[in-house]
Amino acid sequence: MLTISGLHSHYGLSHVIQGIDLAAAPGEVIGIFGRNGVGKTTLLKTIAGWVKPTEGAITLSGQSLNGLAPDRICLSGVGLVPEDRRIFPGLTVEENLQLGLLQVRGRAAKAERAAIDQIYDRFPRLGERRRQLGTTLSGGEQQMLAMARVLVGEPRLVLVDEPSEGLAPMIVAEVFAIVRELRERGCIVLLVEQNVHEALSVTDRFVVIERGRIVLSGDAEDAEDREKLLAALAV
Amino acid sequence: MNALDYLQFVLAPQVVNGLALGVAVVLVALGLTIIFGMLDVINMSHGEFYAIGAYAALALGAAGINFWFLLVLVPILMVPLGMAAERLLIRPVFDSKDRHVTTLLVTFGLALVVEDLLKVVFGPNTQRPPTPIPGATELAGIIVPNYRLFLIVVGAAIVSAVAYVVYRTRLGAMVRAAAFDRNMAASLGVPVALVYAGTFAFGVALAGLAGVLLAPIYSVFPTMGRDFILLAFTVVIVGGMGSIWGAVVAGLLLTQVQALASLVISPVWTDPIVFGTMVAFLVFRPQGLFGRLGHA
Repeated sequence: MLTISGLHSHYGLSHVIQGIDLAAAPGEVIGIFGRNGVGKTTLLKTIAGWVKPTEGAITLSGQSLNGLAPDRICLSGVGLVPEDRRIFPGLTVEENLQLGLLQVRGRAAKAERAAIDQIYDRFPRLGERRRQLGTTLSGGEQQMLAMARVLVGEPRLVLVDEPSEGLAPMIVAEVFAIVRELRERGCIVLLVEQNVHEALSVTDRFVVIERGRIVLSGDAEDAEDREKLLAALAV
Repeated sequence: MNALDYLQFVLAPQVVNGLALGVAVVLVALGLTIIFGMLDVINMSHGEFYAIGAYAALALGAAGINFWFLLVLVPILMVPLGMAAERLLIRPVFDSKDRHVTTLLVTFGLALVVEDLLKVVFGPNTQRPPTPIPGATELAGIIVPNYRLFLIVVGAAIVSAVAYVVYRTRLGAMVRAAAFDRNMAASLGVPVALVYAGTFAFGVALAGLAGVLLAPIYSVFPTMGRDFILLAFTVVIVGGMGSIWGAVVAGLLLTQVQALASLVISPVWTDPIVFGTMVAFLVFRPQGLFGRLGHA
């Protein structure tokens, strides 16, 4: 269970997150929508530990994530697929995936190998390019790698930021298929996405953020809530 | 003197001497370039850590500890020293806006303090530990001191081992990932603070190891770090700051240039040639021959 209560965070003097409350159960995908610059990415960065919260609490399965360094937050079961993928330039596809294994400490070498091989079975293109530098992949393949890097661990909460940005429709469908897969695994997924119509196909609930606050929330399956959402975003 | 004699008795020994000096410079430059590539810190005290390694070998050797054991012991003793320097001097200013200038000044201050401490503790005079491997070997008609041969072989082994760890192991991938993007690396579980401290300490341990290895050839004196580090900095800049292979190529090339140039011009002019090369690189190819750590 993810619980966020009274969360505030700043970027320098700018008060970006201004009191967010949010709860999510295992296997739930929450769509986080809103215009550019309203604090969606900052919310994910605050949960991931890149931005320190100035007030409020974040707990995952009862464990407080407040004030922890990003590596401790990762070990608590949080996976991050950032907006610009952040594939390490000098690392091969395989090395990028190996870093994803760090989330689970003490796994036997055989189990680690099996986890990576499973990824190659799931994404054959990554398998074919395992020795290639990650940044030489196409945009879509890099997005797959960024998501695979999280899948190879054992996350309980996955933060996904704008995964469809700049990708072809076929790749976008693949990206959302992975989000569904994460849900089936029982992960909580917080999905920040501009492509609202597509995102609604995988989300259970949604929230709309404006100026660092949640101004609307609803059920993704509920027609009335969806209408309100589309009206709020004017899409 | 005919061409063959010139090759055997003048040119070849000079090439071998240049090679031994090259390996020595690469050993000192290796830690420097790793610290720069990983932490983006220009460690002005690296030469003094090299000097500490040499003095430690001298003092412990005088206390009866075997040279071969010192090759392992001194780098191990340097690790906590490096950890402490990183924790107390680098980390507090690491996130400051002008990190480059601040860390450069802090480590320069440390260098001055260490240099004076070495003078106070060991005195200002030059000392020379006995050569661990005496004698010389004739190779294709060239007489090469055995210890220099040993240095070339061990130096090559150390560089290969470091390159293997950095480029072929998961630990190396963690180090390179943290060098590229520390936030993303941390979000994948890389303990970035520990990796930074460990890398700095590893660089310092390499400087200490270089001190042990080079003391029998270049002697031990309080300003030895300052003298040697200038050449090491040149190697790092020409090779590409942060590149291991760059340091190797530049170290071997520049010392060969220095050695061979001294055959045709006055040795007084070899230093201006080497440091002029550094200036030319900074102006026309500031990224050096190779890129940063991980790009190489």
